[in-house]
Amino acid sequence: MSRGLYAYAITRDRQLDLAGPWLIGHRGLALVVAEVELDRFTGLELDEPTEDSPLAVLARYHDAVVRAVFQREPVLPLRFGTVLDGVDAAVRLLSARHEEASAWLDRVEGRREWGVRVRAPEREPINLDEMSGTAYLTLRRQRLNATDAVRSGAAAVHRALEQRAAESTCRDLSGDLLLEAAYLVRTEDEEDFHAEVRRLTGELGLRVEITGPWPPYSFTKVEFADA
Amino acid sequence: MDNRSSSLADTLERVLDKGVVIVGDIAVCVVDIELLTLRVRLFVASAQTAREMGMDWWTDDPFFAPKAVERAAANELAAENAELRERLAVLERALEEKRP
Repeated sequence: MSRGLYAYAITRDRQLDLAGPWLIGHRGLALVVAEVELDRFTGLELDEPTEDSPLAVLARYHDAVVRAVFQREPVLPLRFGTVLDGVDAAVRLLSARHEEASAWLDRVEGRREWGVRVRAPEREPINLDEMSGTAYLTLRRQRLNATDAVRSGAAAVHRALEQRAAESTCRDLSGDLLLEAAYLVRTEDEEDFHAEVRRLTGELGLRVEITGPWPPYSFTKVEFADA
Repeated sequence: MDNRSSSLADTLERVLDKGVVIVGDIAVCVVDIELLTLRVRLFVASAQTAREMGMDWWTDDPFFAPKAVERAAANELAAENAELRERLAVLERALEEKRP
């Protein structure tokens, strides 16, 4: 077996021109698929993930197909590397998971994912040469208080954004990150959501990085076992 | 169908680590997704670290890096030491010249 049916996403069964991938429809749902050489997916390494490495090219393409669907219809992105035996298997899957998939599609319809990263403001380095011991200790205390303030500030940002999102999820923090979260936002609430990000982080002097809009990758973490 | 505006790390993190997982007979996973997912986490973490390294404002900030104080103190000592050696050498040469 050297060829298989790569599955990108589940969506509603509509006319979509995807310039390559096509839809296998069943009772109103569809699986977005393309025939692929399985060799392309073996031995992928992430050791040097540059833009032109095989994994990066395949992942970018996977994302591009999911996005092309996402521009027109609600979408459930499938995990990278999902390959089916053939059309029969695709139909069996859609048939067995019809209710669940339909419910998940309703849940993400009209909503887009936004990533938000918040960091503390940058600070001037302390110049020890021109500083007395007392002045240093005072500055140190000020900075400790400031660290507490930005932490609670980041928590306040999350609470405010959570209110403006349909769903949210926080990731583990690393390095100097104070908040790393994804929000599933109704399109009609996006303007308000972004205004709130700018307003709050501006007021609190926090550095913020926003990514998106994304298809609802972080909100479709669901496992479909086939029948 | 291209999206170069998102960083590779962000895209990999979502494509490899998120989304619907199909398990069972009909799904043939040709990629060792678990392994790749693990690696993408490492990559995302290191990309973030690298980004932070570019803004390494705290490494010389004695508040965040107490060693910076030690480093500064050590540098000062070394400089003072060098200066004293220099002055000693000048004095020794002067003494040498005055010797009959």
